[in-house]
Amino acid sequence: MLLETQEISKEFGKLRAVSRVSLGISKGDIHAIIGPNGAGKSTYFNLITGYHRATSGRVLFKGKEITGLPAYRRCRLGITRSFQITSIYPKLTVYESVLMALLSQRKVTLTFFSPAKKFFREEVWGILEDVGLADQASTLGDSISHGDKKRLELAVTLGTEPELLLLDEPTCGMSLEETEVIMGLIKKLSVERGLTILFTEHDMSVVFGIARRISVLHQGALIADGSPEEVRASEEVQKVYLGGST
Amino acid sequence: MEDHHIEGKDSWIKRGWWLILLIIASFLAPTVLSEFYLSVLCEALVMSLMALSFNFLFGYMGQLSFGQAAFYGLGGYTVAMLLTKAHFNFWLSIVAAVLVAALVGLVVGIFCVRLRGIYFAILTLAFGQLIFTIVFKWHNFTGGDDGIQGVFPPELLKSPIAYYYFILLVFLVSAFILWKIIHSPFGHTVVAMRENSERTEFLGIHIAKYQLIAFVIAAAFCGLAGAIWVPFYRSVAPSYLTWIKSGEPVMAAILGGPPIFLGPILGMFVMTFFHAWVLGFTVYWPVVMGALILAIIFFLPGGILGFAQEKVRQRKERNHQLQKK
Amino acid sequence: MSFDVLFSQFMSGIARGALLFLVASGLSLTFGVLRVLNFAHGSLYMLGAFLSYSIWKFLLMPVLGFYLAAVIAALIMGGVGMIIEFGLLRRLYARGWPEQLLATYAIILIITDLVKWAWGGEFLSIPRPRPFTGAVFLFGFPFPSYNFFIIILGLGLVVFLWWLVYKTRLGDIIRAAAQDREMVSALGIPIPWLFTWIFVLGAAIAGLSGAVTAPFGSVALGMDIEIIIECFAVVVIGGMGSLPGTLLGAFIVGQVYAFGILFKPELALAFIFMVMAVVLIIRPWGIFGRPER
Repeated sequence: MLLETQEISKEFGKLRAVSRVSLGISKGDIHAIIGPNGAGKSTYFNLITGYHRATSGRVLFKGKEITGLPAYRRCRLGITRSFQITSIYPKLTVYESVLMALLSQRKVTLTFFSPAKKFFREEVWGILEDVGLADQASTLGDSISHGDKKRLELAVTLGTEPELLLLDEPTCGMSLEETEVIMGLIKKLSVERGLTILFTEHDMSVVFGIARRISVLHQGALIADGSPEEVRASEEVQKVYLGGST
Repeated sequence: MEDHHIEGKDSWIKRGWWLILLIIASFLAPTVLSEFYLSVLCEALVMSLMALSFNFLFGYMGQLSFGQAAFYGLGGYTVAMLLTKAHFNFWLSIVAAVLVAALVGLVVGIFCVRLRGIYFAILTLAFGQLIFTIVFKWHNFTGGDDGIQGVFPPELLKSPIAYYYFILLVFLVSAFILWKIIHSPFGHTVVAMRENSERTEFLGIHIAKYQLIAFVIAAAFCGLAGAIWVPFYRSVAPSYLTWIKSGEPVMAAILGGPPIFLGPILGMFVMTFFHAWVLGFTVYWPVVMGALILAIIFFLPGGILGFAQEKVRQRKERNHQLQKK
Repeated sequence: MSFDVLFSQFMSGIARGALLFLVASGLSLTFGVLRVLNFAHGSLYMLGAFLSYSIWKFLLMPVLGFYLAAVIAALIMGGVGMIIEFGLLRRLYARGWPEQLLATYAIILIITDLVKWAWGGEFLSIPRPRPFTGAVFLFGFPFPSYNFFIIILGLGLVVFLWWLVYKTRLGDIIRAAAQDREMVSALGIPIPWLFTWIFVLGAAIAGLSGAVTAPFGSVALGMDIEIIIECFAVVVIGGMGSLPGTLLGAFIVGQVYAFGILFKPELALAFIFMVMAVVLIIRPWGIFGRPER
């Protein structure tokens, strides 16, 4: 198991957003977390990345406990996320944004006198080629298209050279073609870079298109976990989710 | 950051010729300037150093410190007291002043870097006023509102021209160091924190730590500015630590253009020389300054250089479109 | 330390707190609604003080003169506030806060010079007005009765602002605007109009506060900076934009100042900043404030 959560819970006052979820994510997997709105997907994500502290339970990464670590420490260990609302650097160029991630990952941010631009040229260009942003390298983050911002987000995330990549609604707000492209990209990255990917998504065609394993949350609790076929066949899932009001 | 394009080596001289000319001109300045304007130039250089260090926080990190005068004043007082009371070596006094400013910057910074925006501005202002109050009221030690007189540089730097070259050298070296820092991985991180601190944190950056380091760097350079000014002016007074003094680099940065490295220098030069010129015929300098600030805010958004840059960009775009047609 | 010393420091702290509330409430109200930190609020206070002095001299009325001068000064300052909001700030709401801050800083410089030019650098003062010339005895200890006038005025302002903010239709809008500007716009309330009047109200209160400090004998250049720094401490401790917070902040700062003087006069201001720093570290938005966004 690359990542494991053991009986993890998060309460906001009286509200129990995540309730004793135990789940393991194996190395190299493409793993989807699904569930109706308010099922606790985002909170669960936040517990893994360190944005929220768990009320109880443990988070293990490569067998080591990381429950209490702040976000930046987890990132150093190899857990990175993208945001549901695209979170980029509006006034940095595409190149500079990816460079920032690499500078941080390779621990050179406390270098004071050599020019930042001399660092990691090959790696940055490699990532930009991979996500298809090389031709926009010197464009500012806020002047590229919405789809490209998602790509940029992904590129920055790759810059941290993660082992575990968490994607929160990676195709949110995208056109059909853009969605196809991003799905292809995710598949490719998983194979070529040996990434483990954990993602949430409300578009079922995306989920069943690329996920190798699916976990279903409902009202904060894990109600199903398995291969796409198993999840599709689960009666409980159909009851609350697939066949239900949506 | 001011240069988005990826640079080629050979274009360096082409793009930097005006800078070289400026530096040559500044070395020749004492031969043409009167003693009065030479001292104005000295002040402009010293205050530019302060403005640069302020703008490292403001223009690059996005945090407005309204307490930089405290570090400037601390630098000045350290040199003044070491020279007059302990008869310390001049050069070591300067070093000590930088260290004192950096150390106080570290302590103040630990409290301030937790805050953002207007709250950061207010807390730095409060700490600045606190330090001012201590210096002002601690009569036995600092001389209170009389300040300290008779601070002399060593024999080598006694003449105004010699001291001018000293200030110029310190300024150029400091500006170069700050420029290097801003373009280093550390500087890149600082800019990224300004642009999106949440994103940067998720890239593995401990925000508060980097803000603290930047704050200490800025405090150290402010201290240096104060330290080299006082022996030139021969005295130091509590007014060096007031919030009015802290306001000067803020004005200079916004006047010149905060996201541009040379912006605060230009702003400070305009302010200092304008000040010297206006004082020739009126004592009501602040009202002129106030009107100038309002004029800049209203008519030159982005500051002088920011405004010019925008115009150049617009013209380039227009030419570009014309070529396309 | 004997009881009478402690008690008299406590009472002078209350009076100081009342004065601070007078000034800081306008600052806090403006910030709460307009989201502009008015650096020049202290300058409005100073201008109010100088104006009331001149009006008082001009009126030459033995009893009513002081009160009338204070009211007229407040009204004039309201007008000055309108000019500032209408002519300057209104054009800057879309800009970043550093530019707004710098614009109000420019107003400080302009008002300072204006005062210097019109009144010179002397210390001015108005004698204490009747019936607050003597002393009042509390538990057998004498206190200047003018201090009680300030305290009563402060309490009056608390009641007035409480009524305005919590009991009137305007108050509903003020509170809504402090929380979510877009919502108020969506409700069809003309924001510019609201902003102007709030700023005018803040300026008038600042002018009035300046006028009533004249009998303390402290009308002079520099009184603006002195008060604004303490007001920052008040609103930061209490929470910017919060009325109860400003009241609590004013009380705390008044007391810290009064007892700080007793302990070490030179460092009274330093103690205030220490309290402020501690509050900011524990609750960066002040005791009653709420986080930005």
